Amino acid sequence: MIPPPEPGTIYIVDDDPSFLKSISRFLRASGYPVQTFESAEKFIKQLAPEMSGCVLSDLQMPGLNGLELQAALAGSANPLPVVFISAQLDIPKTVRAMRSGAEDFITKHSSKEELLDAIRRALERGAQERKDRERLKKIRAQFEMLSARELEVLEQVVRGGMNKQISANLGIAMRTVKLHRTNLTRKLQVQSVPELTRLAEEAGLFKRDKSP
Amino acid sequence: MLDAFAQSKKGRKELNPKRVLILYSEGRDAPGDIAMQQAFQMELEKLSTNHIVFIEEHLYARHFSDQEDYKIFQDYLGRKYTKKDLDLIMVFPSGDYTLAGALPDALFPDVPVVFASVNDSLVPYDIRKLGVTGIVQRYDIRGTLGLIMRLQPDTHEVVVIGGNSEEDRKSLGRIIKTAQGLEGVQLKFWTNQPLAGLQRTVKLLMPGTTILLSAFHRDVSGEPYSMPQVAQMLAPLANVPIYVMGGMAVGSGAVGGVVADSETLGKRSGQLAFEVMGGLKPESVPMEVETKGTPMVDWRALQHWHISDNRIPKDCIVRYRPNTLWDLHRNLILFSLAVILTQTATIVGLLAQRRRRHEAEREILEQRMELAHVTRVSTLGQLTSMLAHELGHPLGAILRNTEAAEIFLKNEPPDWEEIRSILEDIRKDDQRASRVIDQLRSLLKRRHLELKALDLGELLNEVVSLTESDARARGVHLILNLPPKLPPVYGDRIHLQQVLLNLILNGMEAMSAIEKRERQLTICVEIKKDGHIEVIVSDCGTGIPPDKLKQLFEPFFTTKPEGMGMGLAISKTIIDAHGGTICGENHVRRGAVFKFTLPPAPGNL
Repeated sequence: MIPPPEPGTIYIVDDDPSFLKSISRFLRASGYPVQTFESAEKFIKQLAPEMSGCVLSDLQMPGLNGLELQAALAGSANPLPVVFISAQLDIPKTVRAMRSGAEDFITKHSSKEELLDAIRRALERGAQERKDRERLKKIRAQFEMLSARELEVLEQVVRGGMNKQISANLGIAMRTVKLHRTNLTRKLQVQSVPELTRLAEEAGLFKRDKSP
Repeated sequence: MLDAFAQSKKGRKELNPKRVLILYSEGRDAPGDIAMQQAFQMELEKLSTNHIVFIEEHLYARHFSDQEDYKIFQDYLGRKYTKKDLDLIMVFPSGDYTLAGALPDALFPDVPVVFASVNDSLVPYDIRKLGVTGIVQRYDIRGTLGLIMRLQPDTHEVVVIGGNSEEDRKSLGRIIKTAQGLEGVQLKFWTNQPLAGLQRTVKLLMPGTTILLSAFHRDVSGEPYSMPQVAQMLAPLANVPIYVMGGMAVGSGAVGGVVADSETLGKRSGQLAFEVMGGLKPESVPMEVETKGTPMVDWRALQHWHISDNRIPKDCIVRYRPNTLWDLHRNLILFSLAVILTQTATIVGLLAQRRRRHEAEREILEQRMELAHVTRVSTLGQLTSMLAHELGHPLGAILRNTEAAEIFLKNEPPDWEEIRSILEDIRKDDQRASRVIDQLRSLLKRRHLELKALDLGELLNEVVSLTESDARARGVHLILNLPPKLPPVYGDRIHLQQVLLNLILNGMEAMSAIEKRERQLTICVEIKKDGHIEVIVSDCGTGIPPDKLKQLFEPFFTTKPEGMGMGLAISKTIIDAHGGTICGENHVRRGAVFKFTLPPAPGNL
């Protein structure tokens, strides 16, 4: 029943059937894969991690409104970028939407260029975020392969500790420190200490104790 | 007993009737005779406690003057009345009193006799000896001559026409005597002509002459006449007006005279008769002699001789004036006029009051309608987001559809099916936008009530769709429950929209303080037994404070800090104008319920 998610799909959520039909028609004609939903609830029900693209949502809807949909998405495993589309320009709402991370905010009669630009930006951001998320996932998976002792050694290395210091700090033999370091570079597929440091940073490790 | 007696005396005539014989020495043919007799009878009946039977006898004594005739009368009257108990004999002598007066005396010596006469010349001086009493009216010669001069100031000669009998000559003698003391008027006496001659000569009188008719019982040839009779004969022939000495003759063609008023004379004689019947001896009642007459004229004769009405003396009795409605019903007319005037005043007053009230009502209605307009506009202000939404949707859809169509057109081959479908959608959205604009325009337009048959379901759907986006923004769930079959109502679409908008917006506002998922506003419709249709708008809000329930529909009543307090007052005005009712109450569990009824469209009762 549910079509397999096409990469870069535009998920349109609007309670006005006529508008929903016209905008999906236009976007499809412009070459985008499109899926339409009459309410935010229905969309969230079908939200799956593998779905990529962006969400084009009406701001005012019965039930969950646009801002509430955005909040729900942000907290989900698949935080697709949201472009809000509203019948009129409502400044307070726009500000709130942008603050909570809306990619764009357009009105229902914005020009097609504005609309397509907003969608393109959203898709790009979505793709980028997806790529970032996937890379992070991969890195985290690599770090997860490390043993507890190896993570301790890694922390000392990232903080710029020499083998001698590490051996003294952790109370292990110099030879054992060297063995752990070899294992680290093998498991994390890195060649140098700076590379190791960047990767750990990317994975968000050891941030708390960075200062001293 | 005494009471009963007094009452019977007062309340009804005693059973024993009294008999009064009225004896005319002549006939009863002069107009004055009749008036006098009527006045006499009425007065006597009024005074007497007994029922009175009046019997009349006419002697025509002038025509039967010898002893033989006397015997016939005596015989006739004696036989006719001996066995009857007569209580009074009333004599109206106008000729030979001796006959009329002597007869009763001879026939019924125990019956009292009263007479009333208009000429003392007829009454014998020794009347007292006869044991009778009565009233005598003397000719008012001075008065009559004065009346002539008053009515016709250019009179320089008065021709006195009189009879030739003894009594006639007596009267003439008195006229001559009186006239001697008067200046400026020449009197000429025509007393020695037979009536036939008079009939010729009265045609030939000079202008400035008038005729004064004196007693005329016999003319020079011995023919019996009477003054009224002579007046009647001469008046149509005479080329000058005729005046008379006796009241009986007024109405026989003469202009008038200062005469005995027959009615006064009749009334007085009635009083006299009552006294005598009560037991007073006639001899002991002094005879009354009236010397002053009453001016009396015949209106018809005045008209004939072109004598102006304003010459008539104030105390003058005007006879034979055609009775105008005014104369006949003066009091009735005055009373009616008063009633009509009062009524008119009342009606005018009421009309004025009604008009003022109508004007005031109309003003109030106009003001309300104006306010309705103002609040409608301000309601629209609240609804701008809704309006932008309502217009934004179809316009946005049209735009996107057009852009899509452009793309489909560029394709090779163009997707005609898709383009056709797009065009159809564009048309639909365009119509939808137009409807929104129409609604907007009609809401903004100020107008008076235009009642017509309306599809209430359609109206409710319109209003709900108008408020839907507002409801969405407020997180209110709008529910519209319509019965499957709804008869048309009789109403004004725009004003009813206004009422519904008011109630829906009020309801939505009342729910702003409660949990979002509980915000529910229900509109349902019920058909009442009497055919009226009831619309019920209920919310789940905080309800109406119980102490405020009574004021709900009063102008400027509001529970909202920024409210004007006109919404419900205007709603009530509108529903009232439709002939419906509106009320507001709290729901049993929570929230408020507003109900209003509308009459069904004519033909759908």
